[in-house]
Amino acid sequence: MKLAVISCIHGNLEALDAVLSDIDRQQVEQIYCLGDLVGYGPYPNEVVEKIRSLDIPICQGCWDEDIVEGLNACECSYPSQLSEKRGRLAHEWTNQVIHPEVRDYLAQLPMTLKQQNLSFVHGSPNSQHEYLLPSMDGFAALERVLSAGADVLFCGHTHVPYVRELENAVLTVTVQQPGQADAQQQFTAPLKRIVNAGSVGEPRHGRPNATYVLYDADTTQVALREVPYDYQKTCAAIVDRGLPAIFAWRLAQGMEFAERADDPSHVCQR
Amino acid sequence: MGQWAIVSGIEGNLAAYEAVLEDINQQPHTVSDLYILGDVIGLQGSNQALLQRLQSPHSGEPNLHICIGWWEEQCFSLHGLSGLPDAPELMAQFGGDGVQRLWGSVLREDVQWLRSLHFGFHELDCLLIHGSTVSYADELTPNTPPITLCDRLIRADANTLFCGRSGLAFECQVEPTQLRSTVITLDGSHEPQEQEKTPRRVVGVGSVGRSPGQATYALYNPNTNAVTFKTIDYDASSNLHQLSTHSTPVL
Repeated sequence: MKLAVISCIHGNLEALDAVLSDIDRQQVEQIYCLGDLVGYGPYPNEVVEKIRSLDIPICQGCWDEDIVEGLNACECSYPSQLSEKRGRLAHEWTNQVIHPEVRDYLAQLPMTLKQQNLSFVHGSPNSQHEYLLPSMDGFAALERVLSAGADVLFCGHTHVPYVRELENAVLTVTVQQPGQADAQQQFTAPLKRIVNAGSVGEPRHGRPNATYVLYDADTTQVALREVPYDYQKTCAAIVDRGLPAIFAWRLAQGMEFAERADDPSHVCQR
Repeated sequence: MGQWAIVSGIEGNLAAYEAVLEDINQQPHTVSDLYILGDVIGLQGSNQALLQRLQSPHSGEPNLHICIGWWEEQCFSLHGLSGLPDAPELMAQFGGDGVQRLWGSVLREDVQWLRSLHFGFHELDCLLIHGSTVSYADELTPNTPPITLCDRLIRADANTLFCGRSGLAFECQVEPTQLRSTVITLDGSHEPQEQEKTPRRVVGVGSVGRSPGQATYALYNPNTNAVTFKTIDYDASSNLHQLSTHSTPVL
């Protein structure tokens, strides 16, 4: 069975249409979406309606949560103070234009999706706000996949696609307790993978093209897809519709300059 | 550098706490610091008396460091200060009676004092905390999956994680021996990385007040990195306790 996994569309209808057209050409049987339908981009309602019309299973992203519950997360909603300031502007704009039925839809989205040995989350199994970066400690990354009860953990949130394979894990624990003999336990794990779907609507890999992933459940092959589209139309719409021009600049660059995560392992304590 | 005494789970049991202090006072090697890893209040005695005792340490006692735990969080929840309203965890475990008893046993000014306490302590290469950096409710035990113990230590960024949530006394040496990690990006495959980490450990410090008549705590020597568990039998019926102690070094 061939899957397509998309994430982080962020109100970018042009990019979403381009990705869906590309998916149509790939003989995909099922599409999954990892959330963040809204935020930063000019067409939040339209993006949600398109996803809903296609009956795409979707888990809730951090932006979706923030629109539903308000910005009551701790500062980790944003990776830095600069991005927080900009993000608040985008949140206020989105909050004003979002339709009530769209907000209701986002509110009922699940935190995670599961299909057999595949798990789908926005950030991590712990939180929509946790970044699973390719550089994070390998054992910690392995823990995330295992905690999801999966062989492959699909995630988004970072806006940069990657595949990480974790294999040959060996871990030994020796337990000492008063009045008891020492006990030793060895832990091993088969191949596990984290697949980050990147971002459809707000890429940060250095180019403005949309990204998503294809996964063949029969062969376990993963393909990272990069899809060019007319991003200038989205940039123009960002400005025309009253969003801060910085988001248009950022989209055109395909980067998150000055907004790299200060502490990607931080998890919201709110 | 003196030893650290590390305790948890007093749960309002003043007699147990006094017994532990007396045992600490009798240690041949000086105990310079006393860490209390949460759950100072609970349903095992007079929270009011215990809190007054903590807020008024006696001269000559070790330096006192207290962080919050599960019971403190339940109190904050009841008072609408943090977490979910009406302490659902407390209700689920102890019912309405437990909720009422906790509500009636801690004065508002003491709630504010408890709110001023730390979430945990990073000292030397140790993290001292009630549960873990994931949550105050994170219960680490010898039966916790090895990969979870490993993850909590990585998050703690420490060689030793002292915790008290479980109430158990144990030491789990965690040795992540090997892991191969390969990353593929849009720009291609990167060189596989072989990962291993230095051994580190999770130490459960036991419980002072949870079991009437017997208190358990840990002694840590920062100079030798050695952990010793102490178990004290005391007369739970009065403050004039009869002491019977034994200790178990963990080598």
